[in-house]
Amino acid sequence: MIEISGLTFTYAGASSPALRQVDLSVERGQLCAIVGANGAGKTTLCYALTGFVPHFYRGSLTGSIRLAGREVTKSPPADLVGEVGLVFQNPFNQITGARFTVREEIAFGLENLGVPRQEMVERLEEALDITGLAELAERSPFALSGGQQQRLAIASVIAMRPRLLVLDEPTSQLDPAGTREVFAALRAMTARGETTIVLTELKLALVAAFADRVVALAEGCVVADGEPRQILASETLQAYGIGETRYTQAARRALQSGLAPADRPLPVTLDQAVEFLR
Amino acid sequence: MSVRFEGVSFSYPSGVQALRDIDLAVGDGEAVAVIGENGAGKTTLAKHMNGLLHPDSGKVWVGDWDTAERTVAQLSRRVGYVFQNPDDQLFERSVRAEVAFGPRNLGLSATDVRSLVEASLATVGLEAEAESHPYDLHVSQRRMVALAATLAMRTPVVILDEPTTGQDAAGVQRLAGIVDGLKAAGRTVVTISHDLDFCAEHFERVVVMSRGHVLADGPAPEILSQVDLLAQADVEPPQIAQLSRALGLPSTPMSVEEFVELFAAQRGHEV
Amino acid sequence: MTSVILYRPSASGLQQANPITKLVLAGTLLAAAATIQPLAQLLAVFIVALVPLAAWSRVLALFLRTCARLIWPFALSLGVIQGFFAPGSTILLSLGPLALKAEGLGAAAVFSSRILLGLGSATLLMLTTRPDMLMLALVQRGLPRQLSYIVVTALQIIPSFQSRAQGILDAQRSRGLETEGGVGRRMRALVPLIGPLVLGSLMALEERAIALESRAFMRPGPRTSLCAIPDSRPQAVVRWILVATMIALVLHRVL
Repeated sequence: MIEISGLTFTYAGASSPALRQVDLSVERGQLCAIVGANGAGKTTLCYALTGFVPHFYRGSLTGSIRLAGREVTKSPPADLVGEVGLVFQNPFNQITGARFTVREEIAFGLENLGVPRQEMVERLEEALDITGLAELAERSPFALSGGQQQRLAIASVIAMRPRLLVLDEPTSQLDPAGTREVFAALRAMTARGETTIVLTELKLALVAAFADRVVALAEGCVVADGEPRQILASETLQAYGIGETRYTQAARRALQSGLAPADRPLPVTLDQAVEFLR
Repeated sequence: MSVRFEGVSFSYPSGVQALRDIDLAVGDGEAVAVIGENGAGKTTLAKHMNGLLHPDSGKVWVGDWDTAERTVAQLSRRVGYVFQNPDDQLFERSVRAEVAFGPRNLGLSATDVRSLVEASLATVGLEAEAESHPYDLHVSQRRMVALAATLAMRTPVVILDEPTTGQDAAGVQRLAGIVDGLKAAGRTVVTISHDLDFCAEHFERVVVMSRGHVLADGPAPEILSQVDLLAQADVEPPQIAQLSRALGLPSTPMSVEEFVELFAAQRGHEV
Repeated sequence: MTSVILYRPSASGLQQANPITKLVLAGTLLAAAATIQPLAQLLAVFIVALVPLAAWSRVLALFLRTCARLIWPFALSLGVIQGFFAPGSTILLSLGPLALKAEGLGAAAVFSSRILLGLGSATLLMLTTRPDMLMLALVQRGLPRQLSYIVVTALQIIPSFQSRAQGILDAQRSRGLETEGGVGRRMRALVPLIGPLVLGSLMALEERAIALESRAFMRPGPRTSLCAIPDSRPQAVVRWILVATMIALVLHRVL
């Protein structure tokens, strides 16, 4: 579904590249989590996948990004609408403000695309269903909580049926309830298997629980790429400032103290940790 | 410096009652984490501590000052509040000037302001960015600037509102070091946070709020082991607490080190 | 967050009418307010046209309260100024060197009625029309989309400025900023208060531009709409009649 090769990008006026020779491929329907310290290039990668780099944030870009076989680095974001959707950190700034109800806010993008009313209604109901917003459909977008607003942003984007959904630290500004709601929506989407999801996230416990695939970035380069358990338990992630879950930390210490056998892979979730330490 | 709430009740002009008859005493040098679901009254409680809000009934004492008789600017000498959104306060052209704003308002000499600023920048690790425009920095760095700006005021009481938001592993580690440093210097530290791993590892006391009441208040190991209580406060128990519970450990460790000790003891018994 | 939108939904009344019809109606009433001369006729238009329409739309109480609140400062000040200082000979009341004259009060009454009719029509329009529906109707008739967007978002996003401003005030006061006191102090307090508001708004603007781009806002080409704006032949006829009335009123006054 996504084939990135040799992607290198330097922001205009910057002294060093934000992304260096990034190679990455993601299969259709996968949920791929990008982890990395702040400044490693996670957000730049999200913008590159959606065309905002280099068309909105200028700079020099080399390399290629292919979405379903189509080269997209030359396409401005407007051309990618319907192919890719972007959801970012701040829920409030993603509300257009042009519409007075949640339902109409979701329809806004579809109206702009000239989708016929009948189809619009179908897509609306589907988006409301996936994000669990059906009960709030007549509410004003400004009367929602942070988590609800973020789900609205997701609904507004998925109504346009993109093949790829990119989320840049979507739970960063949310409380635990909001975070749960967003991941429930993502889970509902992966269950359907139609949309490929690329997500950047600092909360490693969530990545461990939800991702099919983890890619670690450091200073613009891909330094690890594979299964969550493999990548998130790796000691090299510490060197790159990425951290680890307490489960991994506890298991590693137990191992070092001879309290657990050395032949098994380190855990990254609670269940894996319990099994590891039994 | 201590902070005391005596029978404090408060309602917003909209009619929502945010605090109901709160009695709370935070002792000099204590480190307290305030947790609770959205709308529980945590932020309202914190805003009473530096005089942004005054109680409808009851009193709030910061040391020997009744907050109702002081302005916010006066109280800012005793209570530093680091807000969640750094962009609500950044306006200067350089990080250095931004951090100097607070100490300057305190009326300190230029030399004192300078040394406080330098120390503060070093504490948050932003010396290299001292001349940068705050808005050129990554948002997580801007949060550190806001933190530095309050730390520079050297207040005896420091309130941290969701400090770990958007911080990566290095950032959280630095924050941990800062909290430990404040404690070592005898400051009173209060945090509002739903990052319980962070709370468990650095705060000795936990206050759980719900619907304007104090639901529970006690030592962290005692509070953070009560799963139902935490569920009511809409927080996930710390990872280590969850792990030790699942393994049937006799008490709840607050850090990885404590966990390993307890685990070893359990294994020792089985061998 | 308070809303600046005055719309009151209802299953009957003007709420069900096409927004353009309501706009044209308001325009005609404004023309009437500006051109009709006799006081009795001005008040008659208010009582015969606006009041029944407000009742039919189930907003009568709110409409009258709003009109009263809007008009009394005008009526009072006009009454005093015109009453005491306009030329006339019928003295009603003497206060030292000043005399309250009937002619002045009469002129004040006429002027106040014009304002009442004008403000009343605008109020009725706002109480019975959703701003976004009105904008949509106008866009369908050629108003630039960007302009419509600016108007509607201004209504919704400006209240958020208020809460941001409060957040900024709290944050800066907590750093020792004094906001009470002399003019000098208040002036110095402006930069730390306005700075973050402006800078933060610019950043939000950038993010919102990205969000809009992701929703194909700038895409050229035809648009569809989720909500169908109600319209009917009779309404179209009514609109033409109203426009004709408007023109007639203006011509009558001018000639």
